Amino acid sequence: QMASLYLLYESAVGYSLFATDETAGIALDSPSIQEAAGDLAKFGKVVKFKAFAPFKNLQDALENINAVSEGLLPDLLKTFLETNLPKAKAGKKSGLQLGVADHRLGTAITEAIGFPTTHVDPVPELLRGVRLHFPKMQSQVKGEAISKSQLGLGHSYSRAKVKFNVHRVDNMII
Amino acid sequence: PRGRGAPRGRGGAGAGKTNAVVVEPHRLEGVFIARSGAKDVLVTRNMTPGISVYSEKRISVDSGETKVEYRVWNPFRSKLAAGILGGVEAIYIKPGAKVLYLGAASGTTVSHVSDIVGPEGLVYAVEFSHRSGRDLINMAKKRTNVIPIIEDARHPHKYRMLVGMVDVIFADVAQPNQTQIVALNAHNFLKNGGHFVISIKASCIDSTAEPAAVFAAEVNKMKTEKMKPREQLTLEPFERDHALVVGEYRPAAKKTA
Repeated sequence: QMASLYLLYESAVGYSLFATDETAGIALDSPSIQEAAGDLAKFGKVVKFKAFAPFKNLQDALENINAVSEGLLPDLLKTFLETNLPKAKAGKKSGLQLGVADHRLGTAITEAIGFPTTHVDPVPELLRGVRLHFPKMQSQVKGEAISKSQLGLGHSYSRAKVKFNVHRVDNMII
Repeated sequence: PRGRGAPRGRGGAGAGKTNAVVVEPHRLEGVFIARSGAKDVLVTRNMTPGISVYSEKRISVDSGETKVEYRVWNPFRSKLAAGILGGVEAIYIKPGAKVLYLGAASGTTVSHVSDIVGPEGLVYAVEFSHRSGRDLINMAKKRTNVIPIIEDARHPHKYRMLVGMVDVIFADVAQPNQTQIVALNAHNFLKNGGHFVISIKASCIDSTAEPAAVFAAEVNKMKTEKMKPREQLTLEPFERDHALVVGEYRPAAKKTA
């Protein structure tokens, strides 16, 4: 069965792609997603894990979050999507879409790789479900490792924010 | 006169038993009361014994072989502490809970929330001001259950890669559209049936209206955002014209009989 709605989930450990294979049914019936989202057994039947690209190290994660939080498309994410999304046939409406959390990133993705994106209903509800069940929906990273990565990345992201925004200009000597 | 360094006991029979402090659990899980004579103070169990965060007093208590350290929690410096002393029914911030804390400031209250949730819990502490953010980051260095996030709480998508689903959102952001900010974060990060605890300063929302009218208007806004207010209390005598509102997000639909 061909999936028609993919989901991009960005986390502190890397990028993940999920797919829904009952799109027609659920897209029209949001309350049922909300109910199913709380239950992994139900949610896992609707939303399936497809692929994962881990960050290599903290520096890699930091570069990626810095881009993604500004709605920009980092190289790692571009390659990940090109590799794992089905190829849309040129000039033909495939009906395929990628659900994203931020419409600015969606626009950047469509411009770069030509894949249509959406951030509206039912995407936010589906992403809530993914965020809730992510530790158990894939076998690559465990819940504890995710919290550790959030901690490390939270510190470096925040340190960089206070460091580079103190109304001070560091003149680089080239 | 006593020699230098002698214990400051009251003297007399039984000297050496100095100011016995008894620490008892508060009705709210993870919160404690230290009793010594006539004075009772609110305390939390220090996650990092030996370290104070903002020069608050520490109290060490013998617990069998080991010592347990508590930190005094000042209700004049923390709206959550003020709410607890004011008799709030429930805060849902308890051992093991995951908390999204909006308006973390320098992290004084965050440090007590960190004590309460303990090593099994997590506090995602969001603060936009870089000045307070530096203190927040430093505090978090010693507390591995606090994830500092220097970012604008009005734009949760900016920190979506750092945050998992949480059990509770605590908010003290002092913004006119605070309720919308909490709602936006709840839609992204708060579990169905999770809870919110919001400190509302009337003058931050509308400095000309009656505080009671401001609180009522905010509670009405919550209802349109799947946020069900369950409790509202004033923070008097610790804060003037402040209210604490506690509620449930997307409560489970009641089964019809």
